[in-house]
Amino acid sequence: MKKINLDGLDRDCFIETLENGLDIFMIPMVDKKNYFISYATRFGSDIIEFSRDNKKFKPPLGIAHFLEHKMFEQEDGIDPFTYFSESGTDSNASTSFDSTQYICFGTKNFKSNLKYLLNFVNDPYYTDENVEKEKGIIAEEINMYKDIPDFELEMKLRECIYHKHPRRIDIAGTVEEINKITKEDLYDCYNNFYVPNNMFILIVGNFSKEEALNIIKEELKDKKKIDLPTVKAVEEKESVNKKELSIKGNIEVPKVALGLKIPTKDLKLNDVELDLYLNMLFTLLFGASSLFRERVRQQKLLLGLSTEVESIEAYKVFYLMASTPDADKLITEIKNVLDKVKLDSASFERIKKVWIANEVRIYDNVEMVVNNSYDDIIKYGDIIPNRMELIRKMKYKKLEDLVKNIDFKNTSIVKMNPNK
Amino acid sequence: MDYIRKDLGSFNLHMIKTEKFKTITVKVLFHTPIIKEEITKRNVLADILLQSSKKYKTKRDLVIAAEDLYAASISNSNRRLGNYILTSFNFQVLMDKYTEEGNLEKAFSFFSEILLNPDISDNKFKKEKLDISKNNALMILNSIKESSSSYSMIKMLEAYDSNSPVSYRSIGYLEDLDMITESSLYDAYQKMINNDYVDIFVVGNFDNKEMLSLIKKYFKFKRIKKRKASYSLKEHIPRKKRLFTGEEINNTQSKLAIACPMNKLTEYEKNYPLVLANLIFGGGVESKLFKNVREENSLCYTIRSSINKLDNLLLIGAGIDRDNYAKTVNLITRNLNDLKKGKFTDRDIEVAKEFYYTSIEELEEDEYRIINEFLNEELLGLPPIVERLKKMNKVTKKEILKVYKKITMDTVFLLEGVKNEED
Repeated sequence: MKKINLDGLDRDCFIETLENGLDIFMIPMVDKKNYFISYATRFGSDIIEFSRDNKKFKPPLGIAHFLEHKMFEQEDGIDPFTYFSESGTDSNASTSFDSTQYICFGTKNFKSNLKYLLNFVNDPYYTDENVEKEKGIIAEEINMYKDIPDFELEMKLRECIYHKHPRRIDIAGTVEEINKITKEDLYDCYNNFYVPNNMFILIVGNFSKEEALNIIKEELKDKKKIDLPTVKAVEEKESVNKKELSIKGNIEVPKVALGLKIPTKDLKLNDVELDLYLNMLFTLLFGASSLFRERVRQQKLLLGLSTEVESIEAYKVFYLMASTPDADKLITEIKNVLDKVKLDSASFERIKKVWIANEVRIYDNVEMVVNNSYDDIIKYGDIIPNRMELIRKMKYKKLEDLVKNIDFKNTSIVKMNPNK
Repeated sequence: MDYIRKDLGSFNLHMIKTEKFKTITVKVLFHTPIIKEEITKRNVLADILLQSSKKYKTKRDLVIAAEDLYAASISNSNRRLGNYILTSFNFQVLMDKYTEEGNLEKAFSFFSEILLNPDISDNKFKKEKLDISKNNALMILNSIKESSSSYSMIKMLEAYDSNSPVSYRSIGYLEDLDMITESSLYDAYQKMINNDYVDIFVVGNFDNKEMLSLIKKYFKFKRIKKRKASYSLKEHIPRKKRLFTGEEINNTQSKLAIACPMNKLTEYEKNYPLVLANLIFGGGVESKLFKNVREENSLCYTIRSSINKLDNLLLIGAGIDRDNYAKTVNLITRNLNDLKKGKFTDRDIEVAKEFYYTSIEELEEDEYRIINEFLNEELLGLPPIVERLKKMNKVTKKEILKVYKKITMDTVFLLEGVKNEED
């Protein structure tokens, strides 16, 4: 077991990789009462086609999410929710573009709950009947999201940014596609991607690392490493698919979404650093203390604004979504910022201070540590133990250099105006 | 966790000392009996106070000041609690140990500035600031249908009892927004500071004496007030016949919202058997509604029930297909009726109790849940945790059954999604 001190945070991370390739990350926080266990596979909606031994698999869209729902079906008929409930433990699962995770969290029965979590995810039970039954539930889930204007706006923006990449498709698929899913499709995906060398376990909170490790080793001793299938690579063009799109939505207050597509091949920073500098850049340009925010506030142009940086192979994409009384005026303001990127080193240093403070806060809360570490593992394949140090060492000059290498015109913009 | 309550005359101070956090969290809570026409003004007031102050002339100046205090955070919220409206200002900052000596005191001075030194002149807020806050409120009011499940609840409660505070919209009303002026808002501010009941909660690892002197120095309220009106709403007599109502929305999914008044529950029943009754009925993934409506019959993705003891109300919400409306309502009705007949097991009760214990145990890992706990003890007279755990442990099936019998399904509202997919 490798012990890594999380710099400046009075916390340690313990890492072990089993012979079968399973990665285990443990961050004990014994001053807390609760624990959080996540058992995850690097299989999400990004994978839409794969092959093994010359056999091609192209399951219906939304398969990863459907599989996640069906994992809760057990041969003995006992629902995992029911098992965890016995000890007042909560359980859940979620599917993203790049992974699927199964979690349980509570304060009691750590050992038996960990054991059970591993077993139920290791033990699929799909029948024609139970697959059919799930379709109605997932259709309602898809419909629920469809009715959320922000969700629709984001999906339209994704279609504009990406030519071919699966990130232009809803993680849950479509009602039409999920209705085609069979138990064979589920087993094909399960057998190829729910293998130890494609999975990891993350445990945070109040537990004993030795006990946890023993349980995991024992429960997974029969799980063998299996060569992963070949996942069809998606060739994504550097340009955006569509520059501008205007749509109508079931809303009263218009919305605006912008995506900036950034090819990373000429940006001379490693992935962790690149994310830090890009986040810094967009915080300075559009964050709560930016000049942009004050300007649009004075003009009463902004209700809410959210931003995010997404990573896919060879690209970073910056997303900005906002509600505004006047979509065109707000777009002009946003474009002005991107046309003439202006930065100042005082703000740069201040945001560094904010981020360092936020790191300290994250490690006060088990759930926040889980989310933070999970993102690290998915994005970088590892927990980043020295983020504070990396933030401290950020140089203004490096940010200026980075800005020179970004084409700020490579954007897609979607406007959503009221139906009426 | 050590708790000290101090009556400082013009407000109650609640100091909760715990070593769990590296932050100090402060909640300043103003509460006053709710008046429907004042809700909108209250929202605008909370917004404008976080926009600027005498010292920080713009929101940007204010945010920068907070960032300089090692990301001190400020936020506010307005919510109804029974007959009252609660306006909270939440402040959080890292302990000096993780920043620098004196940062905490500077942060207190900053928080005090935001709350007690607003950007006013001639007894008026600034027109340009008011315009911004009113515009924010306008956009929020105009976006009311964007969250269709909360919209369905709002409309359902208005059909349920439009005279009761239970139906008041917490986001306010368009017609009240227009009337707000620079001086009427200042009057509302004065009223809040001088006439509202005030409670201050502090959570963190601090020295009690030092904290007391910081609070006394930076949060000065003059007038001494004694609480009178009750928090609990009047009971609603259920209709003889259920009310079925609804409206259409241009969405794919329909939202079902149901109100079930609870009558003649004792205080004991509200604090104990009712909590378990709700967990068993629709409070989570192990509940009857989740199992029978979602898992068995595939009728929805979300379904849950919640209780509010001050409102004497149990609410049910679900997202369904319009074609399944009758089937879903029948199934929910049948589930409630089964419970009234005692069709639930000792295991159901044990599971509900376990969930309750876990939620209590986890409470101390979250600053705001800690505050909420002591707030409930203060305002609702909830017994302390230790006593609640003991009493909850002893709740019997008979007691839960008695509670179910006092719950009646009254108003059923369907926000009907009529979007045509081919459009």
